[in-house]
This record gives sequence, C-alpha cells and structure tokens, in this order.
Amino acid sequence: MRDDDIIVLKEPELTAAERLYLPQILDGLKTTLRHMFDLQRRRAVVHQYPEQKREDTGELRTANYHGVHRLNKDPDGRVACVACFMCSTACPAHCIHIEAGESPWPDREKYPVKFDIDELRCIYCGMCEEACPVDAIELTPLYELVSCTREELILDKEKLLQVYEETKAVKPRKNPPVTDYGLTGRQSLDVAQPNVERKV
Amino acid sequence: MTDPTIKRIETLLRKPGVIFGAGAAILLLVTALLALAFPLYKPLLSAQFPFSMIVLAVMLALILSATAVCILAERKIAGFTQDRYGPNRVGFWGLLQPLADGLKFLLKEDIIPRHVDKPLFLLAPALALAASLLGFAIIPWAGQVRWPWMPPDAPPLSTQVANLNVGFLYLLAVGSLSVYGVVLAGYASNNKYAFYGGMRAAAQIISYELPLGLGLLVVLLVSGTLQLDQIVQQQAATGVWNIFLHPVAFFLVLVSALAEANRAPFDLPEAEQELVGGYHTEYSAMKFAMFFLGEYVHMITSSALMVALFFGGWHVWGLPGLENVTWWAMLVKLVAYLTKVALFIALFMLVRWTLPRFRFDQLMRVAWQSLVPIGVALLAATAVLTYLGWQHNVWASLAANLLLLVVLLRSAARSKRPVTARQDDLPEVDVRPTA
Amino acid sequence: MPKIIIDGQTVECRSGIPVLQAALEAGLAVPHYCYHPGLSVVASCRLCLMEMKMRDPKTGQMDWAPKLFPSCQTPVRDGLEVRFCSDPVRDNQQHVMEYYLLNHPLDCPVCDKAGECYLQDYTEASGPATSRMVEDKTKNPKKDIGPHTLLYQDRCVLCSRCVRFCDEITGSGELAVVGRGSRCEIDVLPGQPLQNPLQGNVVDLCPVGALLDKDFLFKQRVWLLRSARSVSPADSRGQTIWIDYNEAGIHRIRPRYNEKVNEWWITDEARFGWKHVHRRDRLRQPRIRQGTALQPARWEELPALLRTWFSQPSPTVPNPIAAILSPMLTCEEAWLLAKFARSLAPQATLVLGHVPTVGQDQTYPKGFTIKAEKCPNRRGVETILQHLGGPTASFQEFLGQAVEGRFRAAYVTGGYPNAWVMDPIATALAKIPFLVVHDLFPSALDAVAAVQIPGSAWAEREGTFMNCDGLLQPFERALPPLEGVKADGQFFSELLGQPGLFRARTVRETMAAELPQFSEVFIPRDLPKHAH
Repeated sequence: MRDDDIIVLKEPELTAAERLYLPQILDGLKTTLRHMFDLQRRRAVVHQYPEQKREDTGELRTANYHGVHRLNKDPDGRVACVACFMCSTACPAHCIHIEAGESPWPDREKYPVKFDIDELRCIYCGMCEEACPVDAIELTPLYELVSCTREELILDKEKLLQVYEETKAVKPRKNPPVTDYGLTGRQSLDVAQPNVERKV
Repeated sequence: MTDPTIKRIETLLRKPGVIFGAGAAILLLVTALLALAFPLYKPLLSAQFPFSMIVLAVMLALILSATAVCILAERKIAGFTQDRYGPNRVGFWGLLQPLADGLKFLLKEDIIPRHVDKPLFLLAPALALAASLLGFAIIPWAGQVRWPWMPPDAPPLSTQVANLNVGFLYLLAVGSLSVYGVVLAGYASNNKYAFYGGMRAAAQIISYELPLGLGLLVVLLVSGTLQLDQIVQQQAATGVWNIFLHPVAFFLVLVSALAEANRAPFDLPEAEQELVGGYHTEYSAMKFAMFFLGEYVHMITSSALMVALFFGGWHVWGLPGLENVTWWAMLVKLVAYLTKVALFIALFMLVRWTLPRFRFDQLMRVAWQSLVPIGVALLAATAVLTYLGWQHNVWASLAANLLLLVVLLRSAARSKRPVTARQDDLPEVDVRPTA
Repeated sequence: MPKIIIDGQTVECRSGIPVLQAALEAGLAVPHYCYHPGLSVVASCRLCLMEMKMRDPKTGQMDWAPKLFPSCQTPVRDGLEVRFCSDPVRDNQQHVMEYYLLNHPLDCPVCDKAGECYLQDYTEASGPATSRMVEDKTKNPKKDIGPHTLLYQDRCVLCSRCVRFCDEITGSGELAVVGRGSRCEIDVLPGQPLQNPLQGNVVDLCPVGALLDKDFLFKQRVWLLRSARSVSPADSRGQTIWIDYNEAGIHRIRPRYNEKVNEWWITDEARFGWKHVHRRDRLRQPRIRQGTALQPARWEELPALLRTWFSQPSPTVPNPIAAILSPMLTCEEAWLLAKFARSLAPQATLVLGHVPTVGQDQTYPKGFTIKAEKCPNRRGVETILQHLGGPTASFQEFLGQAVEGRFRAAYVTGGYPNAWVMDPIATALAKIPFLVVHDLFPSALDAVAAVQIPGSAWAEREGTFMNCDGLLQPFERALPPLEGVKADGQFFSELLGQPGLFRARTVRETMAAELPQFSEVFIPRDLPKHAH
C-alpha cells in the first residue's frame, strides 16, 4: 500500500448557522409540515386496505409474491413432494417440519407423511422454494393470513395441498413435476456436452 | 352479537352525521341539564372555594378527555407527516378511536409479573399520573370572573384552582415529582431495560431541571412575581408578551419542557428501539395507560405554563374588553387560553414526528454545555437590566438576547462541531503512514 | 518406519500398509470405494489409482511410470515416491466417476445416504458435472435382503465391501456378487437372508446408498443429525459408538472407530440398543409411598427423606442399610451412590447389582467378540466396591439376607433396558421396609417400593464405563433427561450435598485421587470423513 492509496476523510465543517442546530430543526419541521398538508400525495400513496386490494389495483405480482406456501400436486393428483428435507434444511426460521415415510405408490420411494409449516414462524424468504429439487413447494400470492388461533396457522399437508388447488389458476406450476429422478437418462444433448476443458 | 350487526354498527358510526349528531345531542343534553340545575349550584359559584372546586372538577374532566383526544391527534399527525391517514376505522375519521383505545386498555389483562416489587410497581403509575395532574392547580385558565348576580363591589373570583403565592415554584416542584413515577417503575419492574429507562429518566430530568429553572427565573426577574395570574395580567396590560422580551429564555423553557415530558427527541427513557419499552416494559393494561396519560397530561401542563409565562396567557391582541371580569370575557379568555395550549401541543407532536432521538451523551451535552451556560448568561444579563430598571424594555431585552446569540455562535464556531455531534474532544490527528 | 513421498511431501507411515492407507492417515482425501482397512484388498473400484516412480529400464533413471497403479494394492516401502495431484490421476478419477454415474439414478433427494455418500462427495470433488449417457439407465427394483436391510441395486457401485465383510468378518457369507458385466449385482441366496449379529455394519460399509437400514429408512437426513461420542451399554465389551440424534431424539447408532475394542464394527445389539431410551412407559416423576399408593413427589423432598431413613441406626440389626449398585451405572455414579450410603451408614452393605448374561461369548473369525454379559460396567462397579471395602455382598447373597429381613432400608438402582425384576428378586426386596427403587421402567418393585425415582438412560447421562478388559472409556451425553427427570449423577451428587452441576470429569478426578485405575481414560481418536 502506498501513501496515495490512503484517502483521509474529514467530517465537513459546519457553518455557523448549522452549528446552532436550530436551522436544521426548522428545516425538518418544514418537511414534515409539507407532507402533512400534501393531500394529493397521501391519496395517491395510501391504499384503504380491506376495501381496496392490491390484486384489484393490479399491483400484486402474482408470479413472485411471497405469500402462503403451497404443496404442488403431480398430474396424478399426488403430492409432488418427495420428503427430501431440503426446504427444512434451507429454512432459516426452522418453520418446516417433515416426517417422511415409504410412499404407497410403486413408482415413488419416499413421500411426506407429515408436512407442517408454521406460517407464523415463517419469514417468507422463499428459500424453501429455491431449495426444492422437484418444485413441490411454492409460495403463492395469498397474503391474507388470519386466524383466531396460532394452531390454525400451522398448515399441514392437506391444507397446503388445498392452497395449491385454490391458487393454481392464479399461479400455475412453474416446471413439470419430476417423478423419475433422472432414471430414464434422456437428457437433452446440448446440456450434456463433454467437458473438453481439463481441470488442472 | 352476530357479525352483520357489528358490521352495521360499524358502518353507522363511520357516517359523519351520526357522530356529529350524537356529539351535539350529548352537548345539548349536558347544557340543558346544567341550565336546569342552575339554581342548585348557583350559590356554589359565588364563593371562591367552592368555585375553585368546580373549576378543578371541570378542568380535570376536560384535561383527561383531552388526553384521549391528544392521542388521536398524535396518531393523526404522525400519519399525516408520513403521508398516511392515521386511524380512520373507528367512527367517522377515526373520531371514536380514543374510546376504543380506552376500552381496550380497560379490558386488557392486567399482568403483574412475579419478579416485581409489588407495592412500588403498583404505586409507580399512579405517582406518574398524579404528579402530572398536580400542576393544574395553578394554571390561570381564564383570569378572573365576577358573575352578573354578584354585587359589583365584590372581589372577582379567580379561575385558578389555587392562587398560590409561590406560583410556578410549586409547578417546578410537582413537575419534577413525576420522575419518581418513572424511576420507581424502572426499579420496581426488576427488569434491566426498565431499570435503564428509569435511570435515564432520572439523569435527564435532573439535567433539564436547571435550564428550565433558569428560563423561569428570567421571567421572574422581568415580572417580579411568581403568581401566574399576575404574570399574565402584566403581559395583557402592556400587550407585550414575554416571548418578545426573551425569546432565548422561551427556547430554554421549551426544550426543557420537551425533555421533562419525556417527549421526542428526548424520549430516551422509553426508547423502544433500545430498551423495549423503557420504564414501562413490564406494564400492561390500565397501568400502562396511566403512564401514557401522565405523559400527555405533563405535556398539557407544560404547554399551559409556557402559554402563561411567555404567550400572555388568555390575552389576545385586538380584542378589547378582555381586562373585564364579566362572564362572557371569561369564556373568551378560556377559549383563547385553550387554543394557545392546543397549538403548543400540536408543536410538541410535530417536533416528535420530525426530530430523531438524541443519543444520551448528546442529551447531556445539550443540557450542560449549551443550555445551562446560556441560561446563566441570560439570567445575568436580565439581572443587570432589572437593576437598571429596563426589564420591560423590549429593545433592551431583545438586544441582550441577540448579543447572547452572537456570543453563542462565536463559541460554537470555536468548537467547529454542532453541540450534538459525537465526542469532539477526540484529538484531531491525521493518521498518515510513515514513509 | 518407512518414509514415502506423496505429492512431494515426505510421509512417515506404519510398515506393511498400502499406500492408500498411508495417504489417508496423512490426511489426504484420496477417493476410493472398495478399499477398507478392515477387509481384504480387491482393487476393483479403480478410483484410488496413483502415479508411481519406477526405474526406467531403458535409461536406468527413476521416473514416473507411464501407467497408473492402484494405491490400495501397493504396499509402502522406504523411499517410494507417488503422486495423486497430477493430470493423469485426476483424469482417471473423473472418467471412473463418470462411469460409476452411468446408471446411478441420481435420486439423492430420497436417498438416506445423501450427505455422507462417497459417490456424492467424490462427484462434487472430482466427478463430471454432466452425463453423456443417452440410453435408458438400468432400473433395478429394491430388494429385501434381510430383516434389517434393504438393497437398492441401482445405486450400487459393486465395491463388494459388504460381500467381503460377510465372508471375512462374520464368516457367514450371505452376500455374493452375482451376474456378469452390466448385469452384475449383489444378492443373497434364496431363503438365506442377511441375518447375522453383525449384519448392520454392511450399511455403514456401503459407500453409497445401496444398502440401507430399515430402521433408519426415511427417518431423517444425516445432516440434520448431531453426533455424540458414546459407549454402547449393550455388552460388557464397551463398543464405542456415535449416537446420531436431534431434538426429536436418537435416530441411529453408528460404530466409532476404536483400535482397542471394536475397530470399525459394532454388534446389532449395540446398533439397535437405544430403543428403550424412547419407550413410552419410562418413569417420569419421583413418587413416594403414602398409604398404599405411590404419590407424585418433588425432587427437592427426596434428599432429606432418604438421609433420615438411611442414617437411622437400627436397635436389632447391626448394619441395616444396603446400596445396590447396578452394573448399568457409570463409574462416577456408582462411586457417588456408594459414598452416599457409606456417609450415612458407615457399615452399609454395598452390592453389585444383577448382571444379565445371555448365552456364551461369541467370537468371529477375525477376532470380533460378542460378550455374553449384557451390561457395560460390571468391572467398574467391582473395582469401586473392592476399593471401598467394608461389608459387600454379591447380588445373590444380598437377596438371601434380604429375605431374612436383615435390611431396613435399601437403595436399588436398575437402569436395565429389559425387564430384570424376576419373582425371587421382587419377593426378597419386598421384605425391606424402606426400599428406594431408581429405575427406568415400571416393574414388580412398584408394589413394594417406598420411594420410586425415575432414572435416566445412558444416552442422557455422561460418565465412564470400564469394560470387561479393564479399559476405561468415557462417553458424552446425547440427549437431555426426560422432562421432570434428573440425570442419575446429578441426583446422587445432590444426595451427597454437593452443590452445582454434576460433571463426570470432576468426579472422576476426585476418584482418581484415591483409585489410580481411574486416572487414565481411553478415548479413541476421531477419524475424518471417508477415512476408511
């Protein structure tokens, strides 16, 4: 490191008026007063929520809104989840509880016997969606999450599948379901080019 | 009750006509009752002591309900300054919000944690509220009044609850009592955040007691009396409010009043971001509400005091006949006084939603390194003026204030940093690497 | 000790081991499947190939030989120079990995091995990112090859570790490689499932997710488990184990390498010997007899009650107090309880509790032994009793004396995973007026106990077991005791009036001051991931 790499920063000196602190206070009061009487701005900014909803005003981005979770179904109507625990591993809030079991279907190994999400503990970061290898868990644009008890907001597998039924029209499933875990091996060749560059 | 019924009531209450109609009806009812019962309480109005009691009762009711309105106003102002609407769900324009809040406070579970010092824990909120309320005794709401039915040579009645000859000295005394409530709450809660809050409150209020006292002393020197009604009358007689004589003193008192009421930017004792809730962390339901009430009542008292000391109390320019003691003059004076107080409260609220909170060292620095020296200097200057007999001379006083401001600026210029900046006693060293 | 040069670095190693083992012991992560230090070398996986310096026959100079050598089959000799960090070696690893992945189903999301799978880790380290395979992968249904084990053939890499284990260690030979070429697979003979007392080890041996434990199947992902170093209480040999647990409890038990006792293996008894920890009917609250029934009591009441009973002298009987030290107790707990009994009644009889045995010791071809004695700490308790001296008795003697009504108060510790109170025991103990029963489960003693104290299982305690050969092995606590239950050691130290938390190590140090046998403990070193 050379001498001229170092930038010495100094606090800018204040003017005499600034030193008194009063002008800034008045300036601040001016700002708040301006906002106080800016009726137009207020009307433009505020949504009167229960009467005026974001989906009505078209501002809700259904494609990537982080709302209530859902568990997708495969074309046969079975839960798409394979109980790999990736979402609960990725979850920073530890709000996903899974109990896995042997699946009742011959073409599948493992499925979730229990799949509970504590929606109150969830921070809606979407990591579960990112982590899911089979795109089974997704966040929906449902944001009205109210109940009279905490227990009601611990959504179990049935409720999460129900959410899928409710929201599949608004937000269709992103990718086709994966059920054979690459067993057929029929991958497109353009992603499987031989790796010509040798690691050194 | 079924849901549709609730919904119907809710929509009904949102209609302005309903709210205002109900308000007018209640007002009419009260007026009619008062008129009907007039012969009953007429004798009470004629003697000073029972009259004072009536004033006490009326003002207490008024102030306590005003507190509720204040909370609504505070939330509305908060909303407006932040481009929101504030509460607007309960009743038309949210007007019934105070009612809902009050109900909520009353019905909430009153939790007394197991680890608290129970007697002190119960005492603290009561003390906080009571100490704030005590100050009202000497506010000269509407000067003096002589009722039409009283003989013209009878001495007019004072609308003060108590015309103490120690005047605002009493206010100083009981005003600083309210810190007991806060400190006790902090101590009794047996919670470190609450305790921090209590300690902060103690240090803060002791510090700001000084500039407040100095500012008030300046007024004392000017008026020569401690009695608030006389100070008001003096200002009304000359038409020159004390603010024009001593703006700097007013500033001192204003800042100190904010600090004494634990209002932003001096709300360190309850700093939510640092101390959860500060001294009232462990309080719930009505006991919490009492702290809340205490703060607002304190704010109203401070405003009333400042109006009396610096803004001519009930005096209004250009309105003749206010020096009369007729009952209609009294009503006008009362309205004038309350309006001024309301404006002050609005200012307090606006300041709260404008300024960020001080850091604790900044808080102390503002008090001890700038407000106290200014106060002492101003007091000295006023003392000289009073000795020379110029204490009522606007130009002389203003000149003294201005001079002070210039001196202040000079000293501030030497420190090169605002009084609120971070520690400026750090050595100014450019750290350069040696070659 | 021969010195070899690996990647330019001189490594000192044991003589007679393969280069791969030397590299692994030096901390190098050399990929391998088939090699296992406890099994014979077959050099079939071709993943551990290395470059070696040999004398060039043309020039007579030492130079890198043009072909690669399996490091698992090359014994070390002084001055040998090999390298793993070179292009040919990496090329080999990459191509072999691609070959292994040809038919691998990539069902890591549903595979229990994910997270500790050699195939996964080596693919990440040196394998190709994509597959060039365009044909259908072979799909093999899973096979039930034994009461505890499942075989997912399509995940298998045919390292034959499991086959060699059954041939060499257990000598039972249930597993075999059948078929040829791409039809090659592991199988059992019809009607001869994989069921020997060590069979669970094949699951740990399997480098991929082909052999899976039915008990652990789909229960948890391995990265969600924490591991505690423990010692199995299943038999008196003191097999060292890892307890894999999380907040829901124990999920499985794995062998912990221990060169002095069990090496890489554990018995199925040890592997599945944790079920009693989570049994529903565990005692959960201390109870005191009031009238005819046991009534719930608070832990705080117990020390005073016990002290009064155990310190009252009897006018008729010389030493009416007994403490029965179960061989399921740790050395520290046995010590504290013995000290407690002796501190109140200096002539208290100390008794080694019931020692459960099943059959005879079983020894396998390579020397692995399953002990008949199914308790972990008989020898430790005996050592303590010997040292303390005074009146001691064997369990049978004690029962005989109890039947005669010689005891007025006794502290009985249990802690056995299985029911142990047989009729003679119950009738003898019923003669004792003040009987304290400290056990895990309800038993026939409930009817006669004056005080019933819930015990904690071994996974909920810390301490030391002395195995049948006198080897002292400490273990960690995996789980907290059940809600409402105190760890045995904690309760005993409270009985003794010692304040604060019970720390096995501190107690052991005070014991060592009197008893030199307890001054040294043996803790096998932890091996890194994929070290064998």
